[in-house]
Amino acid sequence: MTILEVTNVTGGYTRKPVIHNLNFKLEAGELVGLVGLNGAGKSTAIKHIIGMMQPQEGIIKINGKTMKEDMDMYRTSFSYIPETPVLYDELTLKEHLELTAMAFGIELPTMRARVQPLLEEFRMEKRLNWFPSHFSKGMRQKVMVMCAFLVKPSLYIIDEPFLGLDPLAISVLLEQMDEQKKKGSAILMSTHVLATAEKHCDKILLLHNGKVRAFGTMDDLRQAFNMPEATLDDLYIAMTKEEEHE
Amino acid sequence: MNNLNDVWRKRFNHYISELQKYMKYIFTGHMALVIVFLLGAGGYKYSNWLKEASHDFPAIWVTAVVMGLVLAFSKPVTLIKKPDEVYLLPLETKMSTYFNKALNYSLMSQVAVAGVIYVVMWPMLRQVGELPASGIAIGLAFTILLKWWNVHVEFMFRWALEGRYIWLDRFARAVLSALFIYSLLHHESMIALVLIIILAIYPIVCKKRTLEKPFPYEHFVQLEENRMMGIYRFANYFTDVPAVSGSIKRRRYLDFIVNMIPKTKEKTFDYYLLRSLIRTDDNFFLWLRLTVISALVAAFANIPIIIGIVVTALAFATAIQLKQTLGKSAEFSMSMLYPLKGDARQQAAIRIARYSIIVQAVIVLLAGIGTPYFYIQGIIVLVVGELTLRLSK
Repeated sequence: MTILEVTNVTGGYTRKPVIHNLNFKLEAGELVGLVGLNGAGKSTAIKHIIGMMQPQEGIIKINGKTMKEDMDMYRTSFSYIPETPVLYDELTLKEHLELTAMAFGIELPTMRARVQPLLEEFRMEKRLNWFPSHFSKGMRQKVMVMCAFLVKPSLYIIDEPFLGLDPLAISVLLEQMDEQKKKGSAILMSTHVLATAEKHCDKILLLHNGKVRAFGTMDDLRQAFNMPEATLDDLYIAMTKEEEHE
Repeated sequence: MNNLNDVWRKRFNHYISELQKYMKYIFTGHMALVIVFLLGAGGYKYSNWLKEASHDFPAIWVTAVVMGLVLAFSKPVTLIKKPDEVYLLPLETKMSTYFNKALNYSLMSQVAVAGVIYVVMWPMLRQVGELPASGIAIGLAFTILLKWWNVHVEFMFRWALEGRYIWLDRFARAVLSALFIYSLLHHESMIALVLIIILAIYPIVCKKRTLEKPFPYEHFVQLEENRMMGIYRFANYFTDVPAVSGSIKRRRYLDFIVNMIPKTKEKTFDYYLLRSLIRTDDNFFLWLRLTVISALVAAFANIPIIIGIVVTALAFATAIQLKQTLGKSAEFSMSMLYPLKGDARQQAAIRIARYSIIVQAVIVLLAGIGTPYFYIQGIIVLVVGELTLRLSK
């Protein structure tokens, strides 16, 4: 079943597009790594998918509907973890969780049952009444992760999740992603940590200069670059070299 | 040399335009109304008092003490910035050009305040103290000279001791300035002469100590940052200042209000905005300030038309400011992705502003109990607040 469908999408901040004619699909149960240099268009692509930017051309569908067709359904279908945690200074951790549950129409007891294991694994259960000003970058990121996972949507969009998280939290996050995948969710994750991406992602989307350079499993990618033994690091560097030759 | 002149000129222009930007808001805001009201009332009371004050009143002493305090507060405005610690360090010996300009400006910006306060004292000295106008005028001239002296000494003292013991220095200068003005107005020439000698030695001692020390950038950077923050905080009462990120307090004792909002999808933004209103100092004190002023006027003003005008103006200010600050959000917040209607936040902002107006109306009504038609004041707050919420953009 297709969860996310991006068709011929071109877009950017001004008339000059940042992303050009993007085409890709995420199927249920897939973890796709979005990989590319700084400025390749990863964040712009994500902003288009979450609806913070409108494509100049092309169509984006989640569960078969565009945002225009059914705004409520579109927005309840995904949760988003931004690269830089965005929290409300005036709300405690507990209130962030409650606010997210309320917005997505999730009963509070259900929410509590869903976040309890995460609170324990992230070692945050004693910090429920803390304000974000007392949190480190990693703790702020954990709040974002919990808010995203309590919604249990069919699509997760995660922008560079590994910065600031300690190794224990990273493994908890990867386990959670794995569990949600098994339950049929799709995950789009942008990252520069190529080894982790290669190890955990089902498919890789290589974005270069706003265009899809290659999309598929590691084997598909090796074939596309004609480098049978290559790691993702090798492919990534080969991709940047192509630019130099151009 | 030219270089440092340019540095000062650029900084000064930037500083002045920054001040003008916020002054504009201050003089168009609701507090300006209150300040004019208070000044008018104060002036009226003062002129009445002058008519009946006894000649035993120590007019000269009061003038001397007030002027001593005003003169002793002479914070230098140096416009020194953090990066100067690195970039201006090699120019240490040439900095006097820069500091002279800074001290000239410090004097210009502060001497007017001292002058105005002295002029306010003038009718008291004339009528109550029965001094001749010429004697009072000499006092004014020396007030200006003393301000010049205080500005320079405070700067040197801060330099010499890196800002430590500044209160001791201020106290000493306040006493010296006050005694000098007293001896001048009271024609105590011997005392004045002794004071002049002390006034001459004090800066010489300070100057000597500054020569042994490098310029304490850290202290002056801190001083400038505090001063700018003070200006921003003050301006923040009237408008939104980006440099001031409002501090947050839990205010647990108001949890009973916060908990009144049901935790349902429809009330998502009510849940957030009520907490935001109560816990953000800016919003909370905005409401508190306007409500307290309104209640005080309702309780003590005695003139129905004045009460009506003030209560109306403050209800309008409360409603419009709360609606606008609660309704707008940062560039990106997670709530923009919530599956809620596009205007959900604005609608919730109006509801929360409405609750605040209702509470204000009750407080103003209770404050006015005992005055005739006190119930009308409460109704005015409700009606003006509601109309503002409905008709404003």
